[in-house]
Amino acid sequence: MAEFTNEILIDAPADEVWAVVGAAERQAEWFPGMVSSTVEDGIRTIGTAAGGFLLEKILTVDHEQMRFEYTITGPLQFEHHLGSLHVESEGDCSRVSYTQEIRPEALTYALRAATGDALIGLKDLVESGKYSRGFQEVEGVDA
Amino acid sequence: MGRKILFVTTDQQRYDALGCNGGTVARTPVVDALAADGIRYERAHPQNVVCMPSRATMLTGQHIRRHGVWMNGVPLPAEAPTVAGLLNESGYRTGLFGKAHFEPFLDPFLRFPENRMGVSGATRGEAGPHRGFERMEFAGHGAAGLVHYGSWLRDNHPEHMAGYFPVLDMTLEVNPDGGGDTGAPQVKHNPVPRDIYHTDWVADRAISWLDGLDSSEDWFCWLSFPDPHHPWNPPESELHRVPWRDLDLPAGYPADASERERLLDLKPAHWRRWYDGDLVSNYEAPAKWVPASLTSDQVLEVNAMVHIQNELVDEALGRVLSAIAARGWDDDLDVIYTTDHGEFQGDFGLLFKGPYHVDSLMRLPLVWRPAPTSTGQPAVVSEPVGLIDLAPTFCQIAGVDVPSWMDGVPLPLSGDGVANSVRAGVTTEWDSLHPNGTEVHLQSIIVDQMLCTRYEAGTCHEGTEGELYDLTEDPLQRVNLWDDPAMGATRDDLVGALDETLPDRPATLLPAEAAV
Repeated sequence: MAEFTNEILIDAPADEVWAVVGAAERQAEWFPGMVSSTVEDGIRTIGTAAGGFLLEKILTVDHEQMRFEYTITGPLQFEHHLGSLHVESEGDCSRVSYTQEIRPEALTYALRAATGDALIGLKDLVESGKYSRGFQEVEGVDA
Repeated sequence: MGRKILFVTTDQQRYDALGCNGGTVARTPVVDALAADGIRYERAHPQNVVCMPSRATMLTGQHIRRHGVWMNGVPLPAEAPTVAGLLNESGYRTGLFGKAHFEPFLDPFLRFPENRMGVSGATRGEAGPHRGFERMEFAGHGAAGLVHYGSWLRDNHPEHMAGYFPVLDMTLEVNPDGGGDTGAPQVKHNPVPRDIYHTDWVADRAISWLDGLDSSEDWFCWLSFPDPHHPWNPPESELHRVPWRDLDLPAGYPADASERERLLDLKPAHWRRWYDGDLVSNYEAPAKWVPASLTSDQVLEVNAMVHIQNELVDEALGRVLSAIAARGWDDDLDVIYTTDHGEFQGDFGLLFKGPYHVDSLMRLPLVWRPAPTSTGQPAVVSEPVGLIDLAPTFCQIAGVDVPSWMDGVPLPLSGDGVANSVRAGVTTEWDSLHPNGTEVHLQSIIVDQMLCTRYEAGTCHEGTEGELYDLTEDPLQRVNLWDDPAMGATRDDLVGALDETLPDRPATLLPAEAAV
């Protein structure tokens, strides 16, 4: 199993960052390459810019601990996957950590790189109101 | 008006694939004729034995350590200088048709421009020429993937999408499934009509672009066939060309299992460990497939498929050359034909590729047919050259000074040995840091007919191992002389030459951003 964590410091209070991270249906607003994210019955459906989709089961939305966890359930059939986001206060800012565990490992590097982009996208959205690449194009919203 | 350049690459093609190199199965009259009229190189080596690093070297003329693409999945930096850009700035029209792979394929969130072009159908980069190419139309190894061919097939012939072998499984690992008549991995009988198979599509797209150019323009066209790389699924209609049951087993395949294992045990440990299914060190070889399970019949069927794919490439190249001749360009046309790396095809009981620096993966076809109006004479060059030398050669053909950022030297026009007086030998590197923790590092140099490989410490090696082969006496690389006391001085000289030739590693490795 492979595991990686990306982190970023965001110049905003933790509850403001958590308001975005903890809203599962908002992920496409800040994750580059996602064009849609909808939630129904605890399952999040992600539309990707490549024309595909991902199904994710939401495991945890802990508003007190500001922790969000999910697992990819389809159409990819991983033996194990766990994605977790955690928001913590750090002075007047917030530190966001995004960890993924995956087996088999083929998608490790691609997810690690995309997750790094996603945290930058989250920072852009929270600090500057700038939506991510795919979301801008599909929704026709301004950066 | 200057010389036009047709740069033809296949993917994963062995030296012995071609008739001009002694191949006796696939009929390759087109490239054989180019060789007869031009220069045939008998010792062309890649600087890395997988696609992305090797292609980055072809495009930049740089060592792996210079351009930084140390493994598949590491994108060539956007700001990297390219020979296509240099030629384009010098007035050449530039196009690439087929497989690029300067950026990762496995890209679900479309992080890379090549993949965004493939999905959107754009043929020009988002900010102008991409990596120096004014026009790019991509194909990969089948119907899937973020490439123009996949989109075209889906839009025009969706009924043939499923005919191709699915390269990846539902975990995005390389698919270990077998097919064909023997159950060989990545083999499938493909009902796709020959005229819409990707080999002919690539030729069609290049011809279309060339047809749109003014006769007076100079151009650089990279015709980049994805075959004969796995999956091995040529059009079913063509299987009659090479019935696998009629083939002889390749010389490099020891049919007796105990002999295979004895030979593997003479090499550093990762050879036998992969064979036994105990090691995964290269994503492109199916992790769930065990080479020890490979049968003689499967070796034959894989080889038959490859020969068929090679024949189709040769015929498609013939169509492109005919179109060029019809435009009246032939007298000013330079054609360079090569590939990015080789393939085991059963040698040592193995398929695919990985950290194994032997002729199966490193001895490549390379043919240069200079423009008939130039002064070159037909020749055979036996001194080692590298794919690193291609970009400087393109500069020389175009009359452009070879820039200092290129590490290679123009290919020699004759076998007089002058070209390699500027360097000790030709090097090849491998560095892998697999997500499963496997770490392998090796570097090789070929000088004259001696091939020397040094291993660094990793998860499979202590850092004291090596391989040394006398290619004249041991063309199948079965006798490892590394620990032979009588060869100690030769080994040490070659390791010294390796250190002298390779640039230092960069202080920081570029990150791998995908598995492939």
